[in-house]
Amino acid sequence: MPGSMVAMTQPVQQSFNPYTENGGTILAIAGSDFSVIAGDTRQSEGYSIQTRYAPKVFRLTDKAVLAVNGFAADGNMFVKKVKQRLEWYRHAHAKDMPIRAIARLIQTMLYARRFFPYYVYNILGGIEEDGTGAVYSFDPVGSYERETCRAAGAAQSLVQPFLDNQIYFKNQTPAAGTQFPQHLPLTSVLPLVIDSFTSATERHIEVGDGLEIYVVVASGSTSLQGLQNLRGVQEVTGTTDGERVFVIRRELKKD
Amino acid sequence: MENSFALVGKGYLIVAADTTAARSIVKMKSDQDKIKALSPHLLMTYSGEPGDTLQFAEFVERNIRLYQIRNLYPLRPSAAASWIRRSLAESLRSRHPYSVNLLLGGYDIASDDPHLYWIDYLGTLSEVPFAAHGYGAYFALSLLDRYHDPNATLEEGLATLKRCIDEVSKRLVVSPDKYKVKVVDKDGIRDVEL
Amino acid sequence: MNTFVDLYSTTSATAQLRRAQKITEEENEEFSDGSWGSQAGFGTIVKGGPSFMVPNVPDPTSFLRLHTDDHADPSCRIKIQHGTTTLAFRFQGGVIVAVDSRATAGSYIASGTVKKVIEINPYLLGTMAGGAADCQYWETYLGMHCRLHELRNRERISVSAASKYLSNLVYSYKGMGLSMGTMICGWDKTGPAVFYVDSDGTRMKGDLFSVGSGSTFAYGVLDQGYRWDLTDEEAQELGRRSIYAAGHRDAFSGNTCNLYHVKENGWQFVGNYDIAKMHYEGNGTGAGPYGYEPRITGEN
Repeated sequence: MPGSMVAMTQPVQQSFNPYTENGGTILAIAGSDFSVIAGDTRQSEGYSIQTRYAPKVFRLTDKAVLAVNGFAADGNMFVKKVKQRLEWYRHAHAKDMPIRAIARLIQTMLYARRFFPYYVYNILGGIEEDGTGAVYSFDPVGSYERETCRAAGAAQSLVQPFLDNQIYFKNQTPAAGTQFPQHLPLTSVLPLVIDSFTSATERHIEVGDGLEIYVVVASGSTSLQGLQNLRGVQEVTGTTDGERVFVIRRELKKD
Repeated sequence: MENSFALVGKGYLIVAADTTAARSIVKMKSDQDKIKALSPHLLMTYSGEPGDTLQFAEFVERNIRLYQIRNLYPLRPSAAASWIRRSLAESLRSRHPYSVNLLLGGYDIASDDPHLYWIDYLGTLSEVPFAAHGYGAYFALSLLDRYHDPNATLEEGLATLKRCIDEVSKRLVVSPDKYKVKVVDKDGIRDVEL
Repeated sequence: MNTFVDLYSTTSATAQLRRAQKITEEENEEFSDGSWGSQAGFGTIVKGGPSFMVPNVPDPTSFLRLHTDDHADPSCRIKIQHGTTTLAFRFQGGVIVAVDSRATAGSYIASGTVKKVIEINPYLLGTMAGGAADCQYWETYLGMHCRLHELRNRERISVSAASKYLSNLVYSYKGMGLSMGTMICGWDKTGPAVFYVDSDGTRMKGDLFSVGSGSTFAYGVLDQGYRWDLTDEEAQELGRRSIYAAGHRDAFSGNTCNLYHVKENGWQFVGNYDIAKMHYEGNGTGAGPYGYEPRITGEN
């Protein structure tokens, strides 16, 4: 066959491609004394849905929750390694690592792979040592910044402008004699998160199936009331005193 | 674009290099000295890949200095040229070769005469009466073929160098506007204003 | 097979990395604990300077280029932030550092609140252009070494020495894909100082630099308004106005301007200014509006 002759004579270029894109979207919003970290649960590759339930949001400690998006295998591996480092820290110091230290840890861990990056976008949410809500967002090689809200992943470009408008009040003018609040209450934030995901599901094929919203609440926060009689809420706090972590699970459209 | 020129005369050697540091279309600096004094009677211009240039020039500078400290006398120009050429040749065969072009000029106090060496990043070395690197070389070499006189006085030599610089300014599209000029003779190295 | 070859080769990329790592490690054997990338008391697991994982392929550099956005190929998965305007200049009253705050990935504005001035320590500032992570990480690392210098020598590191440390460091990774263009600014025994350092290994001292895609626009305003004997207020205004100019003309720059002033006893943050606001209303200090239209109509 002429074809095989060509194959025998031509040099063959082997390329190593250890990356893929598994869709989905994550988002996090910081309040004054709480933090909300959410992600959908669909995992896809191209036009195929691999699973309808693959969590992208993980509780690290009682005051920190990590959302990972991008290449699922890298993401899972990365979360596993972060959790391991946090456990070592716990054994050495008999306390949980503060969130700003976790943020720096994630930077060094991501940057250690500068020449073979984890294809993962990370958003870290939780409670700072001073009791304020915090969100840290990362790029795949470790540059990071503390923000009030951030969306990442497939529907980033759909969700982030909505959040800019509703959280930062971008392109809005306050009514005469009034001011926009610096931080929204949990009761306003949760509907915004749910709306972000239902809307992203409507317009993006890689978003849908399920929604997991983690809420980290500072100890003694009044935001706890907003969670009490909420549908599908479950507490996942590890210790009895201090911050409390809740997860709210909701269905998203499955088509 | 980077340009450097050098020529020998009677008992002296003149070296000139432009003073611009450019990054893409931006001139980031216009008073960069690209001529290193390696020893009391040895000058070197360097141009080429950003980063490599200064790293290699400092590497050479320190090794020449080390030789002088160890042996209490400096390396003669010909020996320095050989050592630098070999360093470049070895670098060329490594994973990250230095991409640096050099003009090395010195006054040999042992034999009482000036020497000029043209060296490129491939490790090519030749001793020449005059030399140039960069696009300016396409104009300057023919000019120097016509006007260079190895027995000229310093004033005449500087006038010839000025011809080179003026010609490049006149004809080269992206020509540098400022040059640093240094002279080396039996008394050592000094800066010259054209 | 590659691992085996790599292990004994002196010319492979991994060998280059080993050499580069040795440079970061060598001078502080006794400090090679887990303080950097803390091992939480399990310090022996990672020793010395930072270590990097490299893909097991013959040419890791081209692997990285294939998968990261090198500006040339926007379809690549891993986007590295590009597009910036940063500037710094020296004058009678110290150093002015001004930057924009936009981060873009392709044509998407990934962030409008990026901190492109890296506070290395209370008297050294670094600016960020090119890879955000490269600048953040290595300038933080530089900050650690500046502190070690203080502890060992009982005096602050000079801006020249700090910038040379960074320059030598990134030069050891030359060709591996690092991307940074930074100005190291501070005040030492010699007075105010600005050094430009980039990932090619270039390092130069100067009075005035601007780096990034909007640098040409910033230079246009900066060069025309620059004098050594500018007052503090004039200098700050010039920095702001130049970043506004770049934000207005360069699509990859914009959002807000962060302004810093380095004086004899360290830097201070002057303010954050919205570029759109500067266009229409001015910056709140009485200057502006800067926009051509508002300016011309205001004159009539």
